[in-house]
Order: sequence, then structure tokens, then C-alpha cells
Amino acid sequence: MRAILKFFNSLQAKYLLIIFIALFFIQFSVIISSLILFNMDVGDLEEEYRGVEDRWHQDAENMKNISKETVMDQFRTWKQAYPQASMFWVDDNGSLAAELNTNRQIPAEWTSAYTAQFLKKRYNGNPFTVVAFLGQKEKHGFIVLELPRDNLDGKTSDRNWIYMGTFLLLFFAFMIVSLLFFRHVRKRLLSLQKAMDLRDDDNLPVLIDVKKDDEIGELETAFNKMVSEQRESRKREQQEEQLRRELIANISHDLRTPLTKIRAQTNAISQEHLSDKGRKAAQQQDESIDNIDRLIENLMSYTLLTASKLNYQPEQTDILRYMRSCMASWYPLFEQENFRIDIHLASFKHNEWLIDPFWMDRVLDNLLQNIIRHAKDGRYIGVTTEETCYYDAIVITDHGPGFDNSQYKKGAGIGISIVDLMLQQMGLDWDIASDDNGTVIRIKRLKKQPPQKDKDV
Amino acid sequence: MAQILYIEDEIGIGEWVEQSLTEKSHSVMWLTSGDNACQYVGLSDMIILDVMLPGLDGFSLGKRIKKNHPDMPILILSARTSLEDKLEGLEFSDDYITKPFHSEELAARVNVLLRRFNKRHERLQLQHLIIDTNDMSVTSQNTGEEILLTGKQYQIFQFFIRHLNQILTKEQLYEGVWGEPYIENDKTLMVHIRYLREKLEEDPTHPAIIETIRGIGYRVRK
Repeated sequence: MRAILKFFNSLQAKYLLIIFIALFFIQFSVIISSLILFNMDVGDLEEEYRGVEDRWHQDAENMKNISKETVMDQFRTWKQAYPQASMFWVDDNGSLAAELNTNRQIPAEWTSAYTAQFLKKRYNGNPFTVVAFLGQKEKHGFIVLELPRDNLDGKTSDRNWIYMGTFLLLFFAFMIVSLLFFRHVRKRLLSLQKAMDLRDDDNLPVLIDVKKDDEIGELETAFNKMVSEQRESRKREQQEEQLRRELIANISHDLRTPLTKIRAQTNAISQEHLSDKGRKAAQQQDESIDNIDRLIENLMSYTLLTASKLNYQPEQTDILRYMRSCMASWYPLFEQENFRIDIHLASFKHNEWLIDPFWMDRVLDNLLQNIIRHAKDGRYIGVTTEETCYYDAIVITDHGPGFDNSQYKKGAGIGISIVDLMLQQMGLDWDIASDDNGTVIRIKRLKKQPPQKDKDV
Repeated sequence: MAQILYIEDEIGIGEWVEQSLTEKSHSVMWLTSGDNACQYVGLSDMIILDVMLPGLDGFSLGKRIKKNHPDMPILILSARTSLEDKLEGLEFSDDYITKPFHSEELAARVNVLLRRFNKRHERLQLQHLIIDTNDMSVTSQNTGEEILLTGKQYQIFQFFIRHLNQILTKEQLYEGVWGEPYIENDKTLMVHIRYLREKLEEDPTHPAIIETIRGIGYRVRK
């Protein structure tokens, strides 16, 4: 029962109904027209004919003092009511006694045979003919009324107009119903499309108000279900993300707190009277704390980075301004290590780079820390710009022992991997050129692909 | 000397920080939880706050303190190093140091914050100049006379003193003083620095107070 109800509520049922009406449209039109004619037209028409016949008989029967004049007076009276009517009188001798408006030959003498033939010919024919005996007795002959049927038919209605009108009425009704149906379907589909484009605060589509239980209603319900599932999935993902961050934050806290305690203890030890060896050990321990701290940081970042969970927010950044600000914070460290610092940042044609400044901080932290740790002997740091037809580059130069001869690879593996992953993600290229006289690192924004890629990492 | 309220639950770290700051002439009130911290806030010049505390966590406590005492400098000292944590912390705090830290760095940052919030009456000596950080008056030790600066020169010098020992890029300096975006190759700042040097430096052709950092900007170093 429910399935049947559902079928009748469906768009399919409505569509089939429209197809059915379209297929049998003409038949419907004829049936309805006929019904109208049967109920209204035919009845009225019959009534009209019967009325004329009855009145003609009544007038003939009621006539007194029968003479040519009185009969002609009667004819004239009828003529006023039916101007197209023609009338004549045949007396009891079978002679034509009077006539009015007969525009054809009426025989002057009426034999029995002719009279019978006339009656037979006019039965249900055109013109509509009524024959009535004159007076109370049949001795005065009979009078005949001839009335063109058009004259009576036109008074009631025209059958063709009924058919045409019904057809047109049904046609327009069908057109309007079809139009309304398709407009309604279209409107609901457009609303659905609009709702799909509308975004909530969480950037997912908003739920749709399902009003009908038809196919579009089912589509809306399915869409709502999909959005809800997506929202649920995102919520789960956010919860997992939150758990992951909490875990990392807790691990970070659990590792760094004891490191800080070790530093406090190292600090306390170094304030005691120590031998040179003891002081050096305390200093090395302090440096180890920094190294472990950096390793922890890199490890956490690497884990997030490889799982694509590290927050990445690229923005158009003036790279020269950014580099100046970054080097301003690193300057005292290099200064403290007695580096010769050579910063020359010439403007590129386009200084805006699409980067995440926090990621770029991490990249430069790794690269510059490596120089302080592994290229200290060279006592030189150069940060310059280089512009070619293939790329714009930030060039970081040191005069250390070179990548292969230093501890770069040993100690900075994860740091270099982070640099590589982050630069790749930011759409930047990089290379390292290194020999015994130092290392040159280029962070490049490619303008077009160079003919031969020269990545030496 | 400043009164510092320090909240840290780790005994080893708490003792070390207390000792380090006391050695730098500060008076430290150290609490191991944030539960009763609010009653000591009014007595302090600044707050140093750990994040992962028993009971009320550092972020909630810091937000509460900042809401009631907007002029109170807050420094977060935390082992939580993620960007999200730093951003959350810096929403209400004025500095964020991650563990493990160096005690010298902590002391330096405490001084910067105290200076920034004018919590410390300090007389700075830069070469032959004596600067009162409260009213920013500048006196030459050579002549004993106060050096009068124009409005813009005063603002530039004040910006330098607030960021003492820090290298400031031309953009940072210009935007910090003028409050407008710096236009590349604009000479306005350079001209003002030249006039400022003429007033402050003993030998403006070899500046010793306002240092030029080639390729980056300027620095005033103590």
C-alpha cells in the first residue's frame, strides 16, 4: 500500500500521466465535446424544433374564420418571428390557396401521391418542415411551414465551434499543466543546485529542507546524508588531528622538560670551580642539549610533514623584506661566532614569492644552523640574490670545509630532508654546490625549466 | 629591580630560573601551581608562566590575568613548541620562550619586556649618552646638557631603545615609527638617521651609537 502511495507521489507517475494525456489528447477532446453537445446542444436544439412544430400545430388548429386573408395574416405573424421561413396553404381540394416567401415553385395542385412524396422527402430533411391541418376539422386542407435548419441551429450553437473550443481549451490546459509540472521540477532542481553551492562555516554544503517524498526529495535526502557523513568524517579527522597534536605536544613536553633540567644542572655545574676539561665537558653538554632539542623539533616536523599534517598557509611574501628580517635575527649569532657577514639583497623583477613564512623560517633555521655548527671554520656567511632567465634565487654561501668533508650529512640528515620537503611543497627548487672551499646553497623560484637540471644533493 | 611572579611545577627548572633571575637583581616569587596565582598578580611587575601546570593550565591562567591586568607583561616559558601552541600563547602573552632555553636569553627577554612596559626605571648609558628610559631624555655626558630631539628623531630613537641590541630592518623601523608601509629605496629614513647621528654621535662620520648593518638595517647596541 505504501509502495503504491509512493508511486502516486512520484514524479514518474506524474510524468506518465502527462504522456498518457498527450497520447489520448484528441480522443479526450472528442469525447468531451460530444458529452457537451449531448448534454447541452442536442437537447436545446431538439427543444427548439419541437417548440416550433407544436406552436405551428396549435396556431393552425386554433384558427377561426378560415379564409385566404386570415391565413395570410397568420403567415405574416410567423414571418416576423422567422424571417427566413416560407409558408403555404393547400386547401381541401388539393389546390395551392396561399403562399408567403416561397422562392421556388410550389405546385398549384397537390395530388395524394405528390403529398405523400413531399412528406417523405421532407422528413428529417432540410428545410425543417411542419405540416398541420387547418382548423378543428381536416376539411380546410393543411398549411406548411418551411424553415431552413441553419436558422434554428445558429440560434443554439455551432457544433464545429464546440469541438474546436473544447480542443483548444483542453490543449491550453494540457500545455499549462505540462509547463507547471516542468517548471516545478526545474525550480526544485535549481534550488538543489543552489543549496549544493551554499557553504556552511565548515566549508561543507548546508543541509536541504526536504519537503516532498518524490525522486527529487529522495535525491535531497541522499545529498543531506552525504553531507552529514562528510561532516561526521571531518569531525572524526579533526578529532584524530587534535589527538595527534596533543600526543606530539605531550611527547615534546616530556622530552624537553628533562632537557631543561639537564641544562639547569649543567649550569649549576659550570658555576663550580672546574678544571679546563670539566668546563669544556659542561660546554659540550650544553651544546648537546641544543642539538637534541633541534633533533626533537625536526623529528616532530618530519613526522607531520610526511603525513601532510603540518599546517601550510602560503601567502604572497616580499622575499627580500622577509630575508632582511630573517637575517636581522640571525646576525647576532653569526656576529658572536666572529663570522664575516656579507648580505647583499638586490631586487628581483618580481619580489613576491608564494611561501609560508613559518615554513621558510624552518628551512632557513636548518640551513643557517648547519653553517654555524658545521662551517664555523670558514668564518664567512654570504646571503645574496641571483637572477637568471631560468630562476630567481637566494644564495647562501659559506667558506666551511664543504658538504662532504663535514658532519653535514651525519648530523643534518633529517634537517636536510625537512628543507627538501618544505621547499618542494612551496613550489621552490634548491641545490647545493659544495667543495673543499665551501658550500653554496641556492633556493630558487623557477621561471622556466632550465635545459639541464643540476641538482647536486 | 623588578618583582617577577613565576609559575612552574618542575622543581629543578623552577630553582634554576629563580636563581638566574635573582642573580640579575630581580625579586622572584615562584609558585608551583596557578591556583592561587591571581592574588599575587597585583604585587608583580611581570609574570613568567609555564603552560602545562597541575590544575589550571598556563594558557587559561594567562588569559585570565591579561583580561584583568592588560598592562601586565606575560612571558610564556613552555616545552610546547608547535606553531599552534605559540600562536595560542601569543594571543595574550608578550613573549614565548621554548624549553630548553638559556638562562641568559630568558634574562635578556625579561629586561626587554620590562623596558617595553615601562616597568623599570632605568638609566642607560650608550657611549657618551645617558638616557632616562622613563621620559626618554638624552643627556650628553661630555657637556652635561640635554640633547633636544625633534618629534620624529625622538620617535626613532625611542624605537631603537625599545629594541636595544636588536637589528632592525629599514622596513621594521620605518613602519614602526611612521606607521605606513615602507617603499623600497625611500630615503626618508636615511635622512632622519643622518640628522639623528649629527645630534647624538661624537663623530657622525664614524657612528658608534646607531650602527649600520650593511644589507639589513640599523642597530643600537648597549
